[in-house]
Amino acid sequence: MKKEIAHFKVNGRSYEVILTPETTLSELLREQLDLRGTKQACGVGECGSCTVLVDGNPTLACSTLAIAVRDKEILTIEGLSRGAQLHPLQQAFADGGAIQCGFCTPGMIMMAKALLDENPDPTREEVKEGLGGNLCRCTGYVKIIDAVMASAEKIRKGDN
Amino acid sequence: MKPFEYLEPRTVREATELLSTYGGKARILAGGIDLIPRMRKGEIETEYVVNLQKIPGLEHIAAHEKRGITFGAMARLRSIEVSKTIQNKYPILYEAIHQITSVQTKYMGTVVGNVCVATPASDVATALFALGARLRISGAKGERTEPIEKFYVDYRVTCLKRGEMVTEVVLPDPPPGIGTAFLNLVRTHADIAKISVAAAIVVQNGICQEARIAIGAAAPTVFRAANAEALLMGQKITPQVIDKVAEIAAGETKPITDLRSTAEYRMGMAKVLVRRAVQKAMETVKA
Repeated sequence: MKKEIAHFKVNGRSYEVILTPETTLSELLREQLDLRGTKQACGVGECGSCTVLVDGNPTLACSTLAIAVRDKEILTIEGLSRGAQLHPLQQAFADGGAIQCGFCTPGMIMMAKALLDENPDPTREEVKEGLGGNLCRCTGYVKIIDAVMASAEKIRKGDN
Repeated sequence: MKPFEYLEPRTVREATELLSTYGGKARILAGGIDLIPRMRKGEIETEYVVNLQKIPGLEHIAAHEKRGITFGAMARLRSIEVSKTIQNKYPILYEAIHQITSVQTKYMGTVVGNVCVATPASDVATALFALGARLRISGAKGERTEPIEKFYVDYRVTCLKRGEMVTEVVLPDPPPGIGTAFLNLVRTHADIAKISVAAAIVVQNGICQEARIAIGAAAPTVFRAANAEALLMGQKITPQVIDKVAEIAAGETKPITDLRSTAEYRMGMAKVLVRRAVQKAMETVKA
């Protein structure tokens, strides 16, 4: 099918790629831009593993046509750390044992970031609701929620 | 995904022209949460994808003094959910959206997209039926407005003709004396409903002046239980009347058996949910 040149802005960096319209955002990120932190699990919008932020909004990359977001700001898990310094969410997940097999983690963290950007002081219940669309098949939700609560506090104190 | 040609109209007119030219070969992309996964699974193959996301002015939510509210085809579920006007004036629409677990889905998906997918298991559409929603439709030959009941023709079939698209939802102002309720039954809220019921009743001086009872996931489309509604009209709403109304409403369902429930169970639960919904709607009527 027709290929075209498209420009993308991912984690603040500009990319120029040759694209077919049926390329999903997760395929673009993983296969063409080599940003494999974004995971694709179910591939049909059920599990939240592929969550990235598009203009700040949590978005399922598997269910998004890359071409439709070519003029937007895309943020993936690779864009969170500053060099070797992890984002408070990443640090809290690592410190709190919130990562088991790790496959759901990038999606969890990106969704949690969107949640904290909107509501920096959430209740535990609000964190649970916010992560409602992210599945962890190791089923370790308690530590994930603990980690988001802990990092929310750190971010509020400006301790990052 | 099978290859397709991607089209990005900048106006509703451009979009309806494209839809008119390509007819059944084209699919509309709004939020993409239904279309893209189904294209990936091979359930939908299409030659053209018409993306509405680049058309300015379709994301609005506009409250009109005494004339209800309108919102555009690209108003996201999330925007409707957090709208204070929706929460205050149309709480059952808020509830139907709020109980959707995936926040990402709500940021991406639109109410109009949900309606146009035309699945009978739409909680959002069930709430819209009870609220008396109308849909503004644009086509190459002009505009029309249809009540949501007329919009649904059959399972996943709407009244949209070649070249037409829904541009706006219109919700009438809630009349004085209205009470509403939304209820559903689910295995888990991450799943679609086994059955859902939304009710709106208008009571003045103790007498029912208007009644809408909508049922989802119990027939090929969301529908209104017309006989049950007729039974409420002009009546004092007593527990005996409510029991009878629930029984009649259950008889109006045409459920199927699938992995979520048997037809018998759905019919039985229709009766229970309609009874509870009418009771709850009564309790929310402001004296």
